[in-house]
Amino acid sequence: MNVLFPLLFLALILVLAAGIFLWPARRSRLQVKKKEFDALPRPLFMQETAEEPGLHIPASTARPVFSPPPEPQLPRKYGVDRLVLMARDPHWLYAYWEITATKQEEFINSYGPAAWSATHPVLRVYDVTGVDFDGKNANSYMDIPVGEDTENWYIEVGQPDRSFCVDLGRMFPDGRFVTLLRSNTVTTPRASLSDRLDEEWMWIEGLYRTISRLQYGTSSPLIVEELAVRAGALPLGISSPGNWENRRET
Amino acid sequence: MPKGYLCLVLHAHLPYVRHPEHEFFLEEKWLFEAITETYIPLIQVFEHLIRDGIRFRLTVTLSPPLISMLTDPLLQERYVRHLAKLIELAEKEEGRTYGSPFHETALMYKKRFQEAMTVFCDRYGRNLVSAFKYFQDAGRLELITCAATHGYLPLMMLFPEAVRAQIRAAVELHTRHLGGPPHGIWLPECGYAPGVDEILKENGLKFFFTDTHGLLYASRRPRFGIFAPIYCPSGVAAFGRDVESSKQVWSSQEGYPGDYDYREFYRDIGYDLDYEYIKPYIHPDGIRTHTGIKYYKITGRVDLSQKEPYNPRRAEEKAAIHAGNFMFNRQHQVRYLAGLMDRPPVIVAPYDAELFGHWWFEGPLWLEYLIRKIAFDQDDIEMITPSDYLQRHPCNQVAVPCSSSWGNKGYHEVWLCGANDWIYRHLHMAASRMTALANRHQSAGGLLKRALNQAARELMLAQSSDWAFIMSTGTMVDYAIKRTKTHVSNFLRLYEEIEGNKIDEGWLSALEYRNNIFPDIDYRWYQSKPGQAKAG
Repeated sequence: MNVLFPLLFLALILVLAAGIFLWPARRSRLQVKKKEFDALPRPLFMQETAEEPGLHIPASTARPVFSPPPEPQLPRKYGVDRLVLMARDPHWLYAYWEITATKQEEFINSYGPAAWSATHPVLRVYDVTGVDFDGKNANSYMDIPVGEDTENWYIEVGQPDRSFCVDLGRMFPDGRFVTLLRSNTVTTPRASLSDRLDEEWMWIEGLYRTISRLQYGTSSPLIVEELAVRAGALPLGISSPGNWENRRET
Repeated sequence: MPKGYLCLVLHAHLPYVRHPEHEFFLEEKWLFEAITETYIPLIQVFEHLIRDGIRFRLTVTLSPPLISMLTDPLLQERYVRHLAKLIELAEKEEGRTYGSPFHETALMYKKRFQEAMTVFCDRYGRNLVSAFKYFQDAGRLELITCAATHGYLPLMMLFPEAVRAQIRAAVELHTRHLGGPPHGIWLPECGYAPGVDEILKENGLKFFFTDTHGLLYASRRPRFGIFAPIYCPSGVAAFGRDVESSKQVWSSQEGYPGDYDYREFYRDIGYDLDYEYIKPYIHPDGIRTHTGIKYYKITGRVDLSQKEPYNPRRAEEKAAIHAGNFMFNRQHQVRYLAGLMDRPPVIVAPYDAELFGHWWFEGPLWLEYLIRKIAFDQDDIEMITPSDYLQRHPCNQVAVPCSSSWGNKGYHEVWLCGANDWIYRHLHMAASRMTALANRHQSAGGLLKRALNQAARELMLAQSSDWAFIMSTGTMVDYAIKRTKTHVSNFLRLYEEIEGNKIDEGWLSALEYRNNIFPDIDYRWYQSKPGQAKAG
C-alpha cells in the first residue's frame, strides 16, 4: 500500500497533465467539426458499417499514434449547381443533380414568390445527335416529370449511338418551361454492327459467322456466382464480373 | 510461319487492402490467399518452363495496387506469418489424416506451402514483383499495367484530368518496379469509352483490350472482326476478346473448372473440422474462414456433404486432357480463320489471373500443360503478345471502338446501378476539386505539397472500381461502402484544410502512414492541360 499510493498519485498527475495539454487541441478540432457539420444539411447515408474487430496498434517502432477514424459521413450537398449525365448502356442514361438555394432564389426573383410552388420540376431530355446544341436546335425532346426531392433519375432513351443532353427545369401550368440546370452531353454506346464499311477494309462475312454466339459479360460467371453465395472468400470476380444475375436463376 | 497466334492474357489485380492500424484484418487475406494459391504457383510454372528451355510468350497485367501490396514490407511480414501458420496446420493435418483417403492430399498441401515459403522468402527475397520482372527480362512475359487504383474509366471521363492521373500514376509505378515503361494496359474491367485511348497515347501506351463487342461494334465495321486489332484514330491499338476461348475457361457449365475431378472450393477444413482444433487458424474472433486446405473433388452436381475425396493425380490427368482440348480447339479455329484472312488471325484470350489456382485449383497446371503442348505437339499456333503482333503487323484498320466493358450485360451497368450510383456525385465532386487544387497550386512545397499529394491518394483509392463492384454483388458491401466513404471524406477534409490554410499535420501524417500507396505521386498530374482549365 505504501508503495502503491505514490505510484497511483503520480499516474493521476500524468493523466491530468496529459488532459490539460491535449484538451485545447481536442476542443478546437471538435469546434471545427461542429461548424462544418452545422453548415451541412443532414447526411445522405446513414447506414452504419461494422467496426473491424480487434483494434490493436502494433507496438513496434516509429509509428505515429492516431485515433481510429470516425465513422465517415459524406455531405448530402456540396453547394454547387450541377446536373451530370452519364450513359449507362445503349438504352439508358443516368442523371444526378444539385440545385442550390441561390439558384432557387434567382428563379423566384425572376418569376415571383409564388412561381416555385406553382411549377413542378421536369427533366427535358434532348436528342442532340449531330448538333452543336444551343438550347433550341435539338432534333427532338421528351419531358419527364420528377418529384421535388428527387435528385437522380434513370432515363430510358432506348436509342443506341445517339447523343443526349438534359435540362432540369420548372414547368408552369400553362406549359412554359424554364431551364435551371443544363447537363453535359453524352452518347449512348452502339448495340450492333456498324453500317459504315471501309472500301479497303471490306468485312469478311464468313469470319463473322464464327462469332455467332456473342454473349455479353461472359467473363467469370462461375466466380461471381459463387461470390454471391459466400462472403469472406477472395473476391476474384472483382476484376471480371460476369452475368451473375442470370446465372443465379439456373 | 504459324497459321495463327494465341494471345493469352492474365490480369492480376486485387484491391488495395492494407490496415496497419489493425493487428489482424480479414480482408488482407485476399492477398495472402492469392499469393499462395495463384501468384506463387504461376511463378513456379514459369520457372519450370524456363528450366526446361521451353519458349513461350504470355501477357500479364500487374495492377498498381497489386504491385504496391506485393512490395510492401508490412504485408510481406504478415504474409510470412500467415504462411507459417498454414504450414503448421498442414503438418498437423499430415498426422490427422494418416491412413485415410485424404492423406495424399494432405501431403500435397504440406509440400506446396513449404515450397511457397522457399519461393517467397529465399528465391525472391519476399518481393514477388521481382519474379515477374525476371520472367519479363528473360523474354517470356510481356508485363502491362492497369489504371492506378483500377478506377472505372468510362464513368470518370467527364473529368479527363482524373483519368490522366490514374494512367500517369500507373505508368510511373510500373516503370519504377519493372525497369521500363509498359507498352500496353489492361483497362479496368475492360472498360473503354472513346477518348480514353487519347490519354493512353499521351502516356506512351500503345495498346489495350476490349470485350468482343467493343471491337465488333466499332464506328466502322472491322474487316477481321476480333481476329486482328484496330487502331483508334489516336493510333493506339485495341485488341478484342475471343468468345470461344473465353467460354471454355470461364463458363461454369461448359468450362473446364467445373469438371468432376477438380478440387471443390467450398469444402474447406476451416468450416469442416472441430472448432477447437481449427480455432488457431481461422479468424481470431473465432469466425470460421477458409484455410486453403480442401480435401474433396467437385463430384458433379451433388450436395456439399456428398462430395468424394480429391485425387491429385487424377486431377492432374484431367488438366492435361483439358489443355489438349483447348489447344485442339484453337488449332481448329485458327485453320479455318487463316483460310479467310490475308494475315494470321490472333485469338485473344484474357483471364483473371486469380482464376488460376484460387478458384480453379488446377489452373496453373493446365496452363503449364497447354504451353508445353503448344511448344511440342503442333505447328499451327504461335503464342504472341500484343507488342510482338504490332511489330509484325503494323498496318491495321482505323475505327473507334464501342464504349463497353466485360461486365454483366457488356456496358457500364455493374458500376452504375441502384446499389452504387450514389458514389458518383461524390467521386465527381472530389475529382473536380482535385483538379481545381492542382490548378491553383502550380508548384507547392513542404506541408502543402504533402497535403495535396495525400488528397490525390485518397481520391484514387476512393475511385477503385472494386468498391462499386462489391456493392453491386451484394457481399461484403459494408467494407466497400466504408472504404468509399472513408477515402472521399478524407479527401474532403484535406480539401477544406488546404483551402482554409490550416493543415493538421498530425492527421496528415496518420493518413500518409495508413494510406501509403504511390509514394511518388505528384498532385500536378491533376492539372488541366493548357486551354482546358474549366474545373473550379
